[in-house]
Amino acid sequence: MPISAQLVKTLEEKRKVILNAGGADKLADRKKKGLMSARERLEAFFEPGTFMEFGAHAQNQGREFGLADKQFPCDGVITGIGYVDGRPVAAYSQDFTVGGGSLGSMHAKKICDLQDYAIKTGMPFIGINDSGGARIQEGDAALAGYGQIFFRNVLASGVVPQISILMGPCAGGAVYSPALTDFIIMTKSNAQMFICGPEVIKAATGQTVTMDEIGSAAAHASVSGNIHFVAEDEKHALQIARKLLSFVPANNVQDPPHRPTPTLSLDIDPGMNDIVPEDPKAPFDVLKVIARLVDGGDFLEVQRDFAKNIVVGWARIQGIVVGIIANQPAVKAGTLDIDASDKSARFIRFCNIFNIPIVTLVDVPGFLPGIAQERGGIIRHGAKMLFAYAAATVPKITVIMRKAYGGAYLAMCSADLGADLVFAWPTAEIAVMGGEGAVSILFKREIAAASEPKKKAKELAAEYREKFAAPYEAASKAFITDIIMPSQTRGILAMALRNTLAKRESRPPKKHGNIPL
Amino acid sequence: MKKLRVTVEGKSYEVLVEMLDDSQVAAPVVSAPVVAAPVVSAPVVSAPVVSAPVVAPVVAPAPKAAPSGPGDVLSPLAGKVVSFEVKVGDKVTEGQQVATIEAMKMNTYIYAASAGTVTAIPVAPGDGVNEGAVLVSIA
Repeated sequence: MPISAQLVKTLEEKRKVILNAGGADKLADRKKKGLMSARERLEAFFEPGTFMEFGAHAQNQGREFGLADKQFPCDGVITGIGYVDGRPVAAYSQDFTVGGGSLGSMHAKKICDLQDYAIKTGMPFIGINDSGGARIQEGDAALAGYGQIFFRNVLASGVVPQISILMGPCAGGAVYSPALTDFIIMTKSNAQMFICGPEVIKAATGQTVTMDEIGSAAAHASVSGNIHFVAEDEKHALQIARKLLSFVPANNVQDPPHRPTPTLSLDIDPGMNDIVPEDPKAPFDVLKVIARLVDGGDFLEVQRDFAKNIVVGWARIQGIVVGIIANQPAVKAGTLDIDASDKSARFIRFCNIFNIPIVTLVDVPGFLPGIAQERGGIIRHGAKMLFAYAAATVPKITVIMRKAYGGAYLAMCSADLGADLVFAWPTAEIAVMGGEGAVSILFKREIAAASEPKKKAKELAAEYREKFAAPYEAASKAFITDIIMPSQTRGILAMALRNTLAKRESRPPKKHGNIPL
Repeated sequence: MKKLRVTVEGKSYEVLVEMLDDSQVAAPVVSAPVVAAPVVSAPVVSAPVVSAPVVAPVVAPAPKAAPSGPGDVLSPLAGKVVSFEVKVGDKVTEGQQVATIEAMKMNTYIYAASAGTVTAIPVAPGDGVNEGAVLVSIA
């Protein structure tokens, strides 16, 4: 017996209401502003026709304060599973046309259910945020909802990759869900993220500040370091998220999507030999080195505009996914400072969670000297880098391109911090400090007693440099696997990655280490 | 002391039993509640930080360290000015190299953040500059 026409009609009508979201006028209004609807965002993110919706018929639970006869389709959030590059991914998209995208208890439950599902099934979790905040009519139930989402963000952390995409407002407590995830992508305009907006700051402190200064993508990308990617528009944001997923596994027990080339090429790249300048004081752009080392120059840089003195991101080297951490000698002399330490430590830990081998490119003259750094806690921040590297059990391969001085050398994944393989270019200088500084301590008396102290100091410094401004002293103590030409680096890294890929390292069981936060 | 005969499986044994103080034997064992002596532990606290709040040492203001304006190019780190690639009155384009700073045994090139005309260069080659010091003013 065929299903009754009435039942079919009821379902069709219900679906119509769901698709109508906050109303045709509101949807048209968004279109006019050039914004996608919440549903369109998911459709654009996933492969066509692969979206399986969860809880489309869910309704708002709060019925007080004027909500008694209000219907909130999907309760303002669309949740479900779709496919990206043939792999299932869980995603939610907040619908600003429905109650301002406000978060009520059902809205929160739908997100929580999806989080539970993603954790259970081990699939990446994406949140598209566009919400006015808590649904005030639902009071503490809305607040509890945020708490439940945060809790699951933490449960999921280290299990599945979590990406937050901000395409609209995200304010107050709501910011902590994105903040607890692995990466935040923000659209250049139309998205804001802040705890206290300009009005609250004005009322509380009297300071006048613009939204752009505290809540824009530009401010968070370059000053606060809260976000990882800035997108031109919504399509670009979704593209970044998909690209990011192409480098990471679905969960912490899988390997990243390596695509090893059928044959290993050890071809020489002569152009690499010309990148490090002859003058040891002249900077170079490490991005040029990375572009030549990785497949097709395809490097997804994370936090490009924050702490530019260190460069982090993913690429493939002859098909093997790698996380790259590189000093940038063109910015702040490539020194490590507070922000650079925070940025790289978090990136190293992400790679370690998701079994992504780490390649470290070193040209570091030291930690950045300065009052602001010392008082800002460079000791505890720099310690994060040491901690992250030492705690990482994924393959760790280090290339010392040029300077590797003092504690900063150790912090850049030295052999002593557990690097599996360390290669040095002939331009490498590995020492505890520079020649002049070293001799002024070592030969203080000799220099003072000399007839020409300055000349004596210079001679001694030259001697010190000759010994240490080359990789051979360190290599003689077996701190270095081999000294290689820059031109050989891509081939050798590709080989090194393949022969470390099966690395397994066991550590003493514990709840977790105590990273200096 | 009492002498008793005990028979076990038909075999008798003579045993000597010493009666201790009656009260000790018979009295039900009422264990006095064990109350740990209240340990009055002095709270351990961190030593007070010197009465005067620790404030950042005031660095002698660099000569002519005027407050920076929107078109000013600031030194990203403390170092020594090696050279200026522009002079007052020059027109510069955004991203053009305007100065070179030496710090940490490295030269750091400094670029104009905006296009305009160089209106002032408050420091000279060879001068030491702090992080955030104005190198070139562009209007």
